[in-house]
Amino acid sequence: MPGKVPRKTIFAFIGPSVIALAAIGIVPLLYAAWTSLHFYNLTKLKRVKFIGLENYWDVLTDSVFWEAMGRTFTLLSIALPLQLALGLGIALILHKPGLTLLKTLARLSLVLPMATTYAVVGLLGQVMFNQKFGVVNQFLSPFGGGNINWIGDPTNAFTMIIFWDVWQWTPFVALVLLAGLTMVPDEIEEAARLETKSWWTVLRYVQLPFLMPGLVAVLILRTADTLKLFDMVFTLTRGGPGSSTELISLMIQRVGFRAFDQGLASAQAIILLIITIILSQIYIRVFYKEV
Amino acid sequence: MKFKKMLGTTAMAAGLCFGASNVLADGHAWSLEKAAEPYAGTTVDVVFLLRPGYEAIEAMLPEFEEATGIKVNIIKHPYENALGEQVRDFVAGGDLDVALIDLVWIGNFAENDWIVPLDKFTSNPDLADPDLDMDDFFPLVLNAFGGWNGTIYGLPVDNYSGLLFYNSCMLEEAGFDGPPKTWDDLKNVYGPALTKDGKYAYALQSKRNETQSADSFARMLWPFGGSFLNDEFKSNLMSEESLAGLQFRQDLMQYMPDGIVAYDHAETVNAFSQGDVAMITEWSAFYSTVVSPETSKIADCVEIAPEPTGPAGRKPALGGFSMAVAAQADDAEQAAAYLFIQWATSKANAGEYLERGGVPARQSAYADPALADTYKFIPALVESWQDGVPEFRPRFAEWPEITEIVQEWGTKIMLEEVSIEEGVTELGARMEEVLEDAGYYSGDKPLAQ
Repeated sequence: MPGKVPRKTIFAFIGPSVIALAAIGIVPLLYAAWTSLHFYNLTKLKRVKFIGLENYWDVLTDSVFWEAMGRTFTLLSIALPLQLALGLGIALILHKPGLTLLKTLARLSLVLPMATTYAVVGLLGQVMFNQKFGVVNQFLSPFGGGNINWIGDPTNAFTMIIFWDVWQWTPFVALVLLAGLTMVPDEIEEAARLETKSWWTVLRYVQLPFLMPGLVAVLILRTADTLKLFDMVFTLTRGGPGSSTELISLMIQRVGFRAFDQGLASAQAIILLIITIILSQIYIRVFYKEV
Repeated sequence: MKFKKMLGTTAMAAGLCFGASNVLADGHAWSLEKAAEPYAGTTVDVVFLLRPGYEAIEAMLPEFEEATGIKVNIIKHPYENALGEQVRDFVAGGDLDVALIDLVWIGNFAENDWIVPLDKFTSNPDLADPDLDMDDFFPLVLNAFGGWNGTIYGLPVDNYSGLLFYNSCMLEEAGFDGPPKTWDDLKNVYGPALTKDGKYAYALQSKRNETQSADSFARMLWPFGGSFLNDEFKSNLMSEESLAGLQFRQDLMQYMPDGIVAYDHAETVNAFSQGDVAMITEWSAFYSTVVSPETSKIADCVEIAPEPTGPAGRKPALGGFSMAVAAQADDAEQAAAYLFIQWATSKANAGEYLERGGVPARQSAYADPALADTYKFIPALVESWQDGVPEFRPRFAEWPEITEIVQEWGTKIMLEEVSIEEGVTELGARMEEVLEDAGYYSGDKPLAQ
């Protein structure tokens, strides 16, 4: 049949990407699944043995794992709504007509936090939030907050993590939502504004349906990002003081690469993966239904 | 045939004796240049830390490379990454030819056969420097840093003892003519007098990493008669003495800066060097930092004493590193690696190493009493190494897992997230679980120390 692509060509084009994906994604995942079913400690490789679901049982019954999971979800449940609220606010302001040059500059500057490497954000945080020399305490000193111990106090350290996460990822939310707002046909928006002066009504009934796909993408991406947030926290607090900022990803790294228990760490990572998949499914079903 | 074989064997033995007697009769015949000749052009890969003792060796290295033709490739890591990097390298059969071993890693490295017993090289007259003089190393340091189960694997290279660094100007101003002799005095007499106007009497580095286990938790166990384990390898943390030590640490926190659980060595040394803290108990390795006017505001006020004594006596923190030849290296690399280790830790180089900011483990290096005028830490260091506790932190293969548990629950106790009793009960249970898995309780594995 004319125009039919030979099977060889199809394999030649698709094959490399499938092989690459398998090599860098699927094989390590399968290896992690295999490891999670074994006693597999890097410093005790002479004693590797199959132990069934024992690692999973250890993870699920370990209070430390659930505490780390709890901290991760606390961060998510505080930072994500803040990012959504601030991001939406910024997007709505930038969506207003007029001040084109300023808006272009604002859009460009929004990219900066996102473009900053996580580790650099953490190192910046160490300097800026230093109790004695940090710019944050110097800024707060006229208001009586010049001696706050940010890094050494558990609550303050967690607040600092939330601040940096919001700072870094609010622009991403703003840009995604701004893109959604530009999808609203001008004539529909203008007609709606003629009907009502309430910005909330316009947002709820006209703009929101166009924002939903972006919003769901933001929810999924930010949830997955928060669940695997590592570099920034590691360089800023290393999970401390104590365990106060030890998120689930830091815990997995600690178990796998400092205690060298790869079996247990793999079981933790697979449980985390399952939780992430479940959450993503929930987001898609709940929010797409509304659309 | 038998006769021929006998003749051959006799000739070989005679040859060996002749060769050996040549070396023995003429000890000066050995030279580094000659020993290294077969290995010229070999590259030795070694992990170094970002600390003064390693900078000292690095500065001396051109002399070794020139004399031997051996290239030493240094891979630098902060302490926190050094174990992980080396474990991954050894597991993967990587390039490292020299293992840098903290004293608490030695059991792990030896049991995994990642390192080679030293006598493989010291018994080889072509490689062994006749002036090696193993007896010149402080016995405590050699055995604790480089030895495991009666076998010496490594030679001590970067050697620490916990010392009391104090700001004599602050102490004099507060009416003290010397440092506290006991932990009790430090807390009850010096603590209240020196904690005022934003300054603190003492800082105990307690960050949640090896610092929490070694510098904070263990430091308060031993002087009070406590320990991690009893003779049966069960947790000894619920003993009256261990609890007293941990309670003391808790009480002492009122004289330390806020957020002390976030203080690592850098923060602690910095607080002392800035004059914010009157006393710290730190490793001897930080001496050069606190007495240098470039890094210390109080360089002229720094004085050193041994750590204070507790009810169980003076039990200073003991820490440090040895270098051992990696088993994964080929024969030429192993020989070249040994020559490098032997040179770096030699008696002949100990003086220069000291001058450049290192702390050698050679007794002869400290023999001259006049040295104490230049290096104030020497008398306290030498005293500490006479009476240290080798098992200050257990050195067995399970320590990497156990230290994580100590770090976690030790900081929880300090932050008062759990009471001392709750914390040590949990810590002890988790520690025993690791030891049980390892086979210590079933008898599969002998009690290591």
